[in-house]
Amino acid sequence: MKKPITLIILLLLIVLVLSVVRTVVSNGMSTSGSMLSRVSEELDYYKTENASLKEMVYLKASLTNISSEAAKLGFVDQKTSFAISSSLPIAVKQ
Amino acid sequence: MSWRFRFIFVSILFLFFIVVLRLFYWQVIRAQELSIMGQLQYGKIIMTTPKRGEIKTSDNFPVATNKVTYRVFANPKEIRDIKETSLKLSQALDIKEASVSANLNLNLFWVSIAENINPEKREEIEKLKLPGVGFEQQFTRFYPEGSMAAQLIGFVGRDDLAKSKGYFGVEGYYDMLLKGREGKAIQVHDAFGRPILAKLSSISNQIDGSDLMLTIDRSAQFLVERILKDGIEKYGAESGMVGVINPKTGEILAMASFPNFDPMNYEIYSEALYKNPFISDTYEPGSTFKPLVMSAALNSKLVTPKTKCPICAGPVSIGGYDIHTWNDKYNKDINMVDVIMHSDNTGMVYVAQKLKVDGMIEYLKKYGIGDLTGIDLQGEVSPGLKPKNLWYPVDLATTGFGQGISITPIELLSAISAIANKGKRMQPHVVSAIQNSDGSNIKIVPKSLGSPISEETAKVMTEIMVNAVDKGEASWARLKGYRIAGKTGTASIPIAGHYDPTQTIASFVGFAPANDPKFAMIVIFHKPQSSIYGAETAAPVFFKIAKDLLIYYQIPPNE
Repeated sequence: MKKPITLIILLLLIVLVLSVVRTVVSNGMSTSGSMLSRVSEELDYYKTENASLKEMVYLKASLTNISSEAAKLGFVDQKTSFAISSSLPIAVKQ
Repeated sequence: MSWRFRFIFVSILFLFFIVVLRLFYWQVIRAQELSIMGQLQYGKIIMTTPKRGEIKTSDNFPVATNKVTYRVFANPKEIRDIKETSLKLSQALDIKEASVSANLNLNLFWVSIAENINPEKREEIEKLKLPGVGFEQQFTRFYPEGSMAAQLIGFVGRDDLAKSKGYFGVEGYYDMLLKGREGKAIQVHDAFGRPILAKLSSISNQIDGSDLMLTIDRSAQFLVERILKDGIEKYGAESGMVGVINPKTGEILAMASFPNFDPMNYEIYSEALYKNPFISDTYEPGSTFKPLVMSAALNSKLVTPKTKCPICAGPVSIGGYDIHTWNDKYNKDINMVDVIMHSDNTGMVYVAQKLKVDGMIEYLKKYGIGDLTGIDLQGEVSPGLKPKNLWYPVDLATTGFGQGISITPIELLSAISAIANKGKRMQPHVVSAIQNSDGSNIKIVPKSLGSPISEETAKVMTEIMVNAVDKGEASWARLKGYRIAGKTGTASIPIAGHYDPTQTIASFVGFAPANDPKFAMIVIFHKPQSSIYGAETAAPVFFKIAKDLLIYYQIPPNE
């Protein structure tokens, strides 16, 4: 009956090794979990900040805003325009 | 090894196999179901709202997007001093103290105090350090250009279940695409069953809304709106609208109407302003309709530009009605070019009579008159054409000069575009591409709606319209240096069985440059006061916009 004893010892060893592995993995996960949570919160914060900044950029880049700012700075619409209908000769052959 | 030992060993192995099989069944096959059952013991399933898609103009600028706002909520069971909390919240949020207090006195774990507050206001309230008061992030529709193209874009309101829903314009027509698909998440609650708002499990099945790329050119839209607004004020009109289309593709480049509304605060405006009059209001087009009837007769070879009108020496009597010209001046033997140039009603009666009812109906249908154009905007209407047996001789005659027939401005713009586009009519549309949240891009291909007239007829009609601009009533306002095809319109408004003698709808329709059109445009003023004529109100506005557009598109003068 030598073989069953070897088998039992082997099984006990496996149980022991698995317990140690589980303890190590759980230990690692417990800290990475809180880190993950921190990173996730940070991500949410930056996403919100990004959205707020985008909103500000859109408002500043709107033609409605640009036109009112231009008016404040004294820019006015061009009232007249001209076009050269035909090109002038550079030199006339005599 | 004895047989008993083998038997026990095989039995144990078999039992292990059964256990493994069962574990496989629970942990693999029914894993998701069990996981949900487990999660439900400490939470409940809630639906998560996806991000609504953006609407962008052709320069990739979002004219409808989302901004971060917050909902202020409170747990009345955690509030120690309801009076003080009510007072502080009402002062910070600028709402009535009684309203806040009523909410805080409810026997609930969660009450909403205010919605759509901005991040600055949130910070201000956070500094008050009120116990039991929290914030929930939400996305609110935001329109960076304010009320620009409001009736074309539409707005986002709430449906019967208080969920976001797009109404009118693009928001309404593409609502399913823009809103995306809701996801599911587990809302964790504590031992007392109170929701822990910050604890949401990962969201599954959520698909964000698709972004829409419009054909609208933001700069063109801006300048069109500015000039239209000035025009309405200058001519004392009740309302006005402008539509600009690329006749070669059917892309709407600008569509504006006034008065309009602010889509962010739509609830404070009259509901009558929500609909887009360009696609939802019908009117009698008057003389701007004449190019369609004339081109139909030219295409059928019933008349040529040189054909002389034998009935144009005076008013024409039909079915007991006398039909006059707009200025009561008559030109005997006037030809078809001059009929359009002088906007001669009697000449158009002659053309309509040559076409007969069958010919008139056939061509109107080819031009899409009486049908929906199929533009991708919510709220398009079309009154349809009368059945053939209800067309009396006077109906045929008045249709020749655009009275007695009701159409929408988009119908007329679409039909005139066919003349500009070598006789080929394109379907008007405002969305050029759909950008899905997974990164895929769907381009909208321009669609042809047939050719009501031949290329040759379109050329002849274009020249007749160019002549009308150069020598007609609106020639004083024309843009020098450019060949522009156009037609004025001064339509009477039907009221209680007759036409209003003092009020009109003044309009101008045309396209430029006539040889290779970049755009076709219609300008309409409803009941202008300074002058009732299209040539004196709509025409100058048309040419003012055309001038700016031609410069903007860098098209040099060709005359």
